[in-house]
Amino acid sequence: MPISFEHVSYIYSKGTPYEYKALDDVCLDIEEGKMTAVIGQTGSGKSTLVQHLNALLLPETGTVKVLDRTITASEKPKRLKSLRGDVGLVFQFPEYQLFEETVLKDVAFGPKNFGASEEEAKKRALNALKLVGLGEEYCERSPLELSGGQKRRIAIAGILAMNPKVLVLDEPTAGLDPKGTESMMKLFHELNRGHGKTILIVTHDMEQVFRYCDRVIVMEDGKVRVHTDTETFFRNPAACQEMHILPPALIRMKELLKENGFEVPDDILSIDALADCIARQVKKHG
Amino acid sequence: MGNITLGRYIPLDSPIHKMDPRAKIMAMLLVLIAIFFPAGWTGYAIIFAAAALTIIIGKLSFTFIWKAMKPMLFMLAFLFVINAFLLKTGDPLFTVGSFTLYSDAVFQTLYIAVRLLLMVMITTCLTATTKPLDMTLGIEDLLKPFQKIHVPAHEIAMLISIALRFIPDLIDETQRIIKAQESRGVDLQEGKLTDRIMAILSLIVPLFVSAFQRAEDLANAMEARGYAPGEKRTRYKVLKMEGRDYILLAGAVLLLAGMVWLAYFR
Ligand SMILES: Nc1ncnc2c1ncn2[C@@H]1O[C@H](COP(=O)(O)OP(=O)(O)O)[C@@H](O)[C@H]1O
Ligand SMILES: [Mg+2]
Repeated sequence: MPISFEHVSYIYSKGTPYEYKALDDVCLDIEEGKMTAVIGQTGSGKSTLVQHLNALLLPETGTVKVLDRTITASEKPKRLKSLRGDVGLVFQFPEYQLFEETVLKDVAFGPKNFGASEEEAKKRALNALKLVGLGEEYCERSPLELSGGQKRRIAIAGILAMNPKVLVLDEPTAGLDPKGTESMMKLFHELNRGHGKTILIVTHDMEQVFRYCDRVIVMEDGKVRVHTDTETFFRNPAACQEMHILPPALIRMKELLKENGFEVPDDILSIDALADCIARQVKKHG
Repeated sequence: MGNITLGRYIPLDSPIHKMDPRAKIMAMLLVLIAIFFPAGWTGYAIIFAAAALTIIIGKLSFTFIWKAMKPMLFMLAFLFVINAFLLKTGDPLFTVGSFTLYSDAVFQTLYIAVRLLLMVMITTCLTATTKPLDMTLGIEDLLKPFQKIHVPAHEIAMLISIALRFIPDLIDETQRIIKAQESRGVDLQEGKLTDRIMAILSLIVPLFVSAFQRAEDLANAMEARGYAPGEKRTRYKVLKMEGRDYILLAGAVLLLAGMVWLAYFR
């Protein structure tokens, strides 16, 4: 069952002089089982959008449909708790949410809140920690004494341990080094392909969008500007530039080569394939 | 949190906004003292007129004052109920069963309500027209004379300005942490006592961690720029008293004198 937004608007600080319309008549259908990127400039409403998916924010007008539940302005909070277990939301800089004495306890906190027994929660926590690449030796350490990247992994494991069907990540790689970013993206890719989870990821990293995501949503001033396949999206670099989005290096390289008289077919999507293609043309004319 | 108006600065352009914070703080203190003299309704009418004039010159709206008063209405209602049962002097107004309401209960409550309203008006005139940073500069200067008796004027002012600076940040941070923990199934509205304690812990621990982190970052940043408490520092903004500041102070002194006269020498 897809996730859908129907004419959703959201207003912060309604009724005060600071009132701000952060979402403006958003209509969206997000496919199940896909990895979708949400991009757009800071302040365009990405975080506001994703917080509707587990009903942290209720739409001012319109409806959000997620996993056979309907979220509207008048929704009772009671019915929403189980939704939060099914839609795991990882906040930006989630390492700030760690609070337990040990890593294992912190990761088991989520599943316990959703009614898992002590034992079950522990089992799921161990599993989740393994998924994010942290071994048993970390279980009894204090989460506060670990490095930033490790804390981030533990926080994400805390959400994964809830075993959500949909995973929503708000800028999960912000502030990580390239190696950390890479392994984090590989993890999400594996959760999507191997475990069949629907993933929505807010990011500014076009290289990662290009490599790992199936679909792209561009937000602009609280509206959805574009929603399309990643491939289709990057096929038109001029349109990207116009939205202040710098296309990935490979796409820019292809553009440069085209401008200089090379023939570059659209379906070339890896650096190796591009190198082969150019080598052939150089030889032919050489 | 967007609804709290008491103590909030309203960025406008008015003669009151331009006044020297030291003059405004001193004037506020003088008028606050004046309110406490038993000068009767005439006295309160005069103070009310002066405060209303300041509000109008300061381009503030009376609805703003009203909003600041609102949280206190509950307290006043409570006070009225207590007075109604305890104060049995004055003229009986009406009787319901064995309960009689006396006029002094009404007047006492009204008296306190009026004083409270005046206090809110006067303090709002200061806080709504003075930037938090100017306010701390003013406080620092006014505390200077007390340095002789070892009051750390500069440190107190710095503390106040840092606290003011971080309040909005901490409110944002709290809301963010609440949302993050709610995403992990924390239920702040209901649940067993043990769950409730866990829920509160899951907010407080991260909040402290991040507050200490911020404090450390700020301390490092200040030290890196050569800040040392107790050292002589120059100021970017030099406060200067002008004609209108003296007028304000003179007005406040006159008001206080008038109240003393009304209370004791008439
Ligand atoms: N709690 C809030 N109160 C008021 N305004 C907010 C709040 N959170 C976000 N906003 C405003 O809503 C707009 C969209 O914010 P956000 O969804 O966080 O954007 P993004 O994640 O794309 O950077 C911004 O202009 C921001 O200032
Ligand atoms: Mg954001």
